[in-house]
Amino acid sequence: MRAVPAIRAFAQDGGIETPLDQLIRHWMNERHAPDILPAQEDLMNGILDSIRRQSEIVHLLRGNTTMSEDEHIRITLVQTEIERVKFVVRACVCTRIYKIEKYARFIMTNADVQTRLTAAEQALAQRHAALTDRHYYTSVLQSLPEKQAHLDDTPIFVPPMVTEPDKTRPVFVHALQDCPPVHLPNGIPLEMEKDYISLTQYSIVEHLVVRGEAELV
Amino acid sequence: MASEPRHYGELATQLVMEARRSTQTDTLLKYNDSLVRTLIREQRDLEREADSIQLSHPVDNDEPPPALIIIQTAINRNKRCLLAYHAHRVDRLRDMYWAVGGALPHLLANKDIRDNLSPYEVDYLRAYNASIMEFRSEFSQELDIMASITNLPKDLHVQVKVVRECGVIQTENGTIDFQKGKRFVVRRSDIEHLIVQGYLEEVQ
Repeated sequence: MRAVPAIRAFAQDGGIETPLDQLIRHWMNERHAPDILPAQEDLMNGILDSIRRQSEIVHLLRGNTTMSEDEHIRITLVQTEIERVKFVVRACVCTRIYKIEKYARFIMTNADVQTRLTAAEQALAQRHAALTDRHYYTSVLQSLPEKQAHLDDTPIFVPPMVTEPDKTRPVFVHALQDCPPVHLPNGIPLEMEKDYISLTQYSIVEHLVVRGEAELV
Repeated sequence: MASEPRHYGELATQLVMEARRSTQTDTLLKYNDSLVRTLIREQRDLEREADSIQLSHPVDNDEPPPALIIIQTAINRNKRCLLAYHAHRVDRLRDMYWAVGGALPHLLANKDIRDNLSPYEVDYLRAYNASIMEFRSEFSQELDIMASITNLPKDLHVQVKVVRECGVIQTENGTIDFQKGKRFVVRRSDIEHLIVQGYLEEVQ
C-alpha cells in the first residue's frame, strides 16, 4: 500500500492526473465516504479498455520467441503494472458492491441515489434487496401474525429498519484547490485553501468531493 | 422450553447475545432454530393478548391503555431482534462467501459450515451467488472481480506448494498437474483462487 501515495505525490507535483490517478482518487473517496458516490463509468470503461488492449498486446508479444532479455524484462514490467491496475479496479468495484448491498433497500426507494449507479449496479441493488427481503420473509415474517409481517413499518421510539447512509459521519477532507466557502453546522464559514486538511461532517463537503475540488483522505 | 415466568424480551435478548458472541469469536454459530420458533410463538401470544386488550377497551376512549403500549413495545422489540439475528447471519455468510473467492460449492461442501446453516440460508447463498455472478459477467473480458484484494500484487509469479490434490488445472500458459507435496512456480493470477480455497500454499 505504501507505493500508492508515492505515485500520487508525483502526479500532483507534475500537475497531470492520469486515469489511474483519477481512479485511485475515486477509490479512496468511495472508501471514506459514508454515501455512495456517482459512478465513474467513462473513466472505468477507459481503464478496462486499456487493460484489455494491453493484455492482448502482451499475449501476442509473449508468443514471440526471438525476444531479447531486455524486452523480456519490459514485458514483465508491463504485466506487473496491469495486475496492479486490476487490483485497484477490483478494490473500487468491491467497495461499491459493499455499499450497494448495505443500502440496497434504501437505494430502491430513492431515485436520487439510483442516478449515481451504473445500470449493472442498479440491477444488483434490485436483486439484492429482493433476495434479502425474501430471506427475511421465509425465515421470520411469514410465521408472524399478519399485523407484524411487514418490513418497513416505523414504530415510534425505534430507528427505522431500512439502513440509510449516515452523512453526518466525520471525514478527513483534503482540498485539491482553493475551495469556495462552506458552512459548518454551527454556522461558521470555512474556506479551505489548496492542501488544507480538515475534519468535518461528510454532508458539509459532499459537493466539493463530487466536483473533484477536494478529496477524502 | 422452560415453563417458569419470563420477562418480555428475554428470549430476544438471548438471540441477540448469540449474534454478538458470533461476532466476538468470529465464528458462525449453529442456526438456533428452536429459539427462533419459540420467539415466533411468543409473538403470536403477544398479538393475541394485544387483540383482547383492544377488544375490552371502551371505544369512546381515545387514549390507548398502557398495557397495550407495553405489549406493542415488546412485539416491536422482539421482531427487531429476530430480524437483527438473521441480518447478522446473512452478513457473515456473505463475508464467508467472499473469503473463498465466491466458490459456493466449496463453501457448501464443507460439512462443518453446512450443518450450521438453516435451509433458507442455503437458498439465500445460492441466490446471492447467482446475483454476484451476473454482476461479475459485466467485467468478464478484463478481469475477475472476485479475486483477492487483501494483498497488493507485488510479483507476477509465486512459488506454491500443493497441500491438497486438485488435479490438472488449465492456465494461460498450458496445463499444470498439481500433485500433493510438489512445488511449482506459477503466475499468481492463474492460481490465486486455488490459494484462497486452500489447495495451494504460498511458499515465502
